[in-house]
Amino acid sequence: MPRTSTVESPGCPPLRALTTDSLGLIKVVEVRGKGGGTPQVVETWGPPDASRSVLATSYADRKKDPVLAVARKNGLIEFLNPLKGDVLTTIKASESGSTDQSASANDLLVGLHFFKSKQEDSSSMLGTLLTCTEKGKVCIRSVGRSDAPSDQSIDSPNEWSVTNGGHVLCSSLDPSENYALFGGKHVELNLWDLNSSKKIWAAKPPRPNNLGISIPTWFTASTFLCKDDHRKIVAGTNQHQVRLYDITSQRRAVISIDFRESPIKAVREDTDGHTVYVGTAIGDLASFDMRTGKMVGCYKGKCCGSIRSIAKHPDLPLIASCGLDSYLRIWDTNKRQLLSAVFLKQHLTSVVIDSHFTAQELEGTKPEEPTSQSEVRDQSDQGGNCDEERSRKSKKKRKDAAGKKEKKMKMHDEEQISGIEDPAEKRLDR
Amino acid sequence: MAKEKKRKAAEEAVDGDDYIEREDKNPKKQKLILASQIKNKEKRSAVYAKLKHEKRVEKRKKIKARDAASKQALELGEEPPEKMVPRTIENTRELDETVCRPDDEELFAGNDADEFSAVLKQQTAPKVLITTCRFNSSRGPAFIKELLSVIPNAQYYKRGTYELKKIVEYAKNKEFTSIIVVHTNRREPDALLLIGLPDGPTAHFRLSNLVLRKDIKNHGNPTSHEPELVLNNFTTRLGHRVGRMIQSLFPQVPNFRGRRVVTFHNQRDFIFFRHHRYVFEVKEKKEGLKDKKSKASQGKTEKKAIARLQECGPRFTLKLVSLQHGTFDTKGGEFEWVHKADMDTSRRRFFI
Repeated sequence: MPRTSTVESPGCPPLRALTTDSLGLIKVVEVRGKGGGTPQVVETWGPPDASRSVLATSYADRKKDPVLAVARKNGLIEFLNPLKGDVLTTIKASESGSTDQSASANDLLVGLHFFKSKQEDSSSMLGTLLTCTEKGKVCIRSVGRSDAPSDQSIDSPNEWSVTNGGHVLCSSLDPSENYALFGGKHVELNLWDLNSSKKIWAAKPPRPNNLGISIPTWFTASTFLCKDDHRKIVAGTNQHQVRLYDITSQRRAVISIDFRESPIKAVREDTDGHTVYVGTAIGDLASFDMRTGKMVGCYKGKCCGSIRSIAKHPDLPLIASCGLDSYLRIWDTNKRQLLSAVFLKQHLTSVVIDSHFTAQELEGTKPEEPTSQSEVRDQSDQGGNCDEERSRKSKKKRKDAAGKKEKKMKMHDEEQISGIEDPAEKRLDR
Repeated sequence: MAKEKKRKAAEEAVDGDDYIEREDKNPKKQKLILASQIKNKEKRSAVYAKLKHEKRVEKRKKIKARDAASKQALELGEEPPEKMVPRTIENTRELDETVCRPDDEELFAGNDADEFSAVLKQQTAPKVLITTCRFNSSRGPAFIKELLSVIPNAQYYKRGTYELKKIVEYAKNKEFTSIIVVHTNRREPDALLLIGLPDGPTAHFRLSNLVLRKDIKNHGNPTSHEPELVLNNFTTRLGHRVGRMIQSLFPQVPNFRGRRVVTFHNQRDFIFFRHHRYVFEVKEKKEGLKDKKSKASQGKTEKKAIARLQECGPRFTLKLVSLQHGTFDTKGGEFEWVHKADMDTSRRRFFI
């Protein structure tokens, strides 16, 4: 007989995750409290606007100066500070060097990767960025900050094309940031060396079966398996297969696993180097051990929509998955249990986990955020009535004393002027 | 041991239990037994009849007492005692966080951006293509004929042997706004596939309880005026989306003079479809028939406007099986909502 009482899901450990959705909103979900608890949406950044729908995100998860890069449907790439939500800089996805504007207008961004390790200490440069469009145009360029003096020399962008025909659907950057992987519909997996801009390996399709039928190539998700090894690649196909490729051994897949009946939409590797988490278009989430090729187990939690993105917490045994059913779900990887689900109202496109969040930041962050919210509203160049309404609402909701606000505003100003150092100090202090 | 248990159970016995007291010689050992444990059929049925009668008498007494109390309270001018509300599954529905709130601006922004906004904002007129599965027989054609009369600006095309993905392409070329595919199983229409165009979602409904117009007693014949659409109880986000999808099938400006209404009523995840013609009538109701004392007020006649309904058109129920993002592609498409067995963990949880 169906259960008539509700079962309380166990709480999550303290964590902070950022999700992006199809209306261009970025929502910050936090679990506060040292013992854990239920996640709540603490902030929402951006006006709801379908043309600003987020296509791809990349998160530089570092303690000092973290950056969240977001590619939007209207052709802009925004760089945000994930702590406060203010836009650091905005660039156009299509470079001026491209020959015809009409072709690039339909060419949506598919992959976006921000280089974490190539961080320069100069306050004018934000970092290097790799972008990949659906038609296969890949570009590496360096991004300057918005408040940088305009006479700073920026390196010319490095562009090349990955494929002649077909659509690129998935791309991945290896953790050492020397190699990049691209795959898609009628695009075999390619591995490129970024320093020399040369293709060093391409996959071969599997042999046709005994009836002579060969499955068309259609890679929908891919990732590198280990963080210190660029040679092992795990990819998911539209034909519900999870394949392991090893570039040192052969061009064909080493292991090919069939998983249920829906296309594989998201693949994420685990920090231990041999487990992968796979999400399908119907909402099935499972983990596989790539050494043997066997499924470790399925994650059961009433997920009824396509899983668009999976994020793994670098330290805790946690994964977060989000998808078209508008829920952000947090799972425990050891027990494969659903820890909690948060309803976020729109179709979610990607989720990232901020691993440098500790429960001790409670006192520090809470009063700070309302000021930063109000400042974001003033500073950001996004107009519209909804913005004003939301700032009014947020001001009403926050029950802070006026005095605290003024103090924090001064601190925020100082931060802006001095540069990178202060935010880093602040984070450590909290 | 068993007897002790029974006694304890009898002490906690509620009115519903059929315990009878068996008289015993020893007043200390009064046993209570279940009426169903009497083996003799005649005796058992006699005992049951007696129990039933007792219960009915009790119930009548209660009702009388309640009515008397409320009447007395009305006469005295006090508040009548609270009316008892029966507990239903809809009353005790689990709190759903996905229910749409009236002040949710993300909902409005989502509505502006979704696939139906062009039709719902009257920028394009709805144009519906109705087709069937490859083998169509018995009630299928009759159902489609009635659907054509219900939905204005609908056209029927024979299925032939075209693949559904091709049909979607052809419909897009001819600028249709949605496709309805009636799927038949065992000579009965079984499922309804609603595909929004150009890249709208695909909703797969299971169809049941179909009653055609000729089988409805005192049915009416619908006219060709644009009908009024009534969508009841589509509260959650998913329900809102399905509601908008249904809304995009019908023209947005109803012709009220046509007095024709189409209702989609959602209850417990089942969507009931009804099609009525209505008429407003002014009925003269004589007041004072209840109150015998004041004969002076018998001359007053109150005029009340009431609506009378005449059912026309088919009657069926739909249940959402899956909602897929994008046009029809079950193998390669992404699902926004799919019914899975492990979602049915609670009797009081509904999704639409």
